[in-house]
Amino acid sequence: MGRSERFGRPLLMGGALAIGLYLLLPSLVIVPMALTRSQLIQFPPEWISIHAFTDYLGDPQWIASTLVSLKVALLATVIACLAGSSAAIALQGRRFRGQAIVVGVILSPIVVPLIVLALADYLFFVQLRFIAAWIRIGLAHSLLVTPYVFVTVQASLAGLDPALARSARSLGARPVSVLRHVTWPAIRPGVLAGAIFAFAVSFDEVVIALFLQSPEATTLPVRMFTSIQYDLTPKIAAIASLMLGLAALALAAQGLVALRRKQPQSS
Amino acid sequence: MVAMSTAEGAISSRQRRRLPADRLFLLLPIAVLYGLLLVAPIAFIVETSFSAGLDHYRGVIETPLLWRVIENTVVISATTTFVALILAYAYAAALWRAKPVLRVVLLSLVLLPFWTGVLVKNFAWAALLQDNGVILDLLRAVGFDTGGLSLLHNRFAVIIGMVHYVLPYAVFPIYATLIAIDWRLVRAAQSLGASFPRAVWNVILPLSLPGVLAAGLLVFIVSTGFFITPIILGSPRDMMIANLVDFYAHQIVDFGGAAALAMLVIASVSVLVIAYQRVPKEGQYGTL
Repeated sequence: MGRSERFGRPLLMGGALAIGLYLLLPSLVIVPMALTRSQLIQFPPEWISIHAFTDYLGDPQWIASTLVSLKVALLATVIACLAGSSAAIALQGRRFRGQAIVVGVILSPIVVPLIVLALADYLFFVQLRFIAAWIRIGLAHSLLVTPYVFVTVQASLAGLDPALARSARSLGARPVSVLRHVTWPAIRPGVLAGAIFAFAVSFDEVVIALFLQSPEATTLPVRMFTSIQYDLTPKIAAIASLMLGLAALALAAQGLVALRRKQPQSS
Repeated sequence: MVAMSTAEGAISSRQRRRLPADRLFLLLPIAVLYGLLLVAPIAFIVETSFSAGLDHYRGVIETPLLWRVIENTVVISATTTFVALILAYAYAAALWRAKPVLRVVLLSLVLLPFWTGVLVKNFAWAALLQDNGVILDLLRAVGFDTGGLSLLHNRFAVIIGMVHYVLPYAVFPIYATLIAIDWRLVRAAQSLGASFPRAVWNVILPLSLPGVLAAGLLVFIVSTGFFITPIILGSPRDMMIANLVDFYAHQIVDFGGAAALAMLVIASVSVLVIAYQRVPKEGQYGTL
């Protein structure tokens, strides 16, 4: 082992940890900033008070926005799970003409710039004023998050032997019961993982929600975005810490799903 | 078993088949969803952009603002891509060579920001970089004369925030090409007389270039679409193309102009995406 190799390794690992600190830094400061006694964001904060959290919980506008965001994310997730999973089942296994194009189209919402989708959705939904504003946002988000569900379900189907469904059919099972007893158990972890990701993406999305907002349907990120431009307050730090907690929960949930998925294969 | 595999062989040797009717039925929900929420809305953009012949396009192209904004978008995105690639390469290399425990730590550090929304991150960076924020306070505490130094609402802050956001997108494609490379290649090069740095430079780096190219294109595509970060961390002079679309739609309420701009965005992103799809993906060049 040469000198450069011996010294190179700690240097590389040290550098990576420094970059890791840069990645972690924003998450590290948010919670302490929320726990300040002051009315201002400052560092080091004057500890310790939860007034920022109670301010948030006591503000009907912010609570209304939180509820709008939850409803929007739930609607988007349900639609994405239905459309994304059924598409993944349809395309499972066999190859067919035009497959690459179909998959490309299904994944395309990921690469369409958000601003384009936001403007397109705005122009589209102006024609459909009778639809409630939060439903419009949920519908627009459902397109955005369907590819994530499709990808995770497709991944969980990759491990399913097509012969299983074939033998179930040859033993007389109707398509519905094949779906229920063979396909569904196989895709359940994929649907769950995709649903968690879809919910998180919709709950955080700002640009589309900004274009489609109405006074009664302002999502939490849109309200945050508008108020951050004027002032940085501990109340926003409190909401940001709650969203950070939600992200950590989602990450942990996906980790659990991934672990569960591995177990049956190892047994 | 033998009978079955020959049957399958017969099927795959035939031309690729059509999708059977029951499978097509399962594609119905997604077809309806995409038809209503992707195709129809984009059709409205196309229609609105041409609603006055080519006048909306002419109007947009003749604005000096457009060229300023295009320059901003390219310069900011290219700087972000460059910085992100250097950091991501070091990070991916460390992930590749790390012992299992450190690898888990490094992996979770790069995954957590993936899950945090862009607003939460931007808020934190604004709080860190503001005039009485942590970073300037720390600099003063160690005796540095910060004078009138301002870290927030400038291009520097935009790039800090954007690199932070795109770093995971750069790390994973590079990591994927690196883990496909056989480390014994370095040993082989050394046994032939190369020094360690030379072995890494002449063997590992060229083998990992497809991953770097893929990561660079992906990061550049993501960077050109930024909307929130230039507003929160930048100044009005850092306006990017997405902000200009918003400016046309919300400030001067010219939806024809906004739609024409959106068409230009679609065209340029399509070119980049097609280029990205032609880049060989992970491992294709890295295996022996």
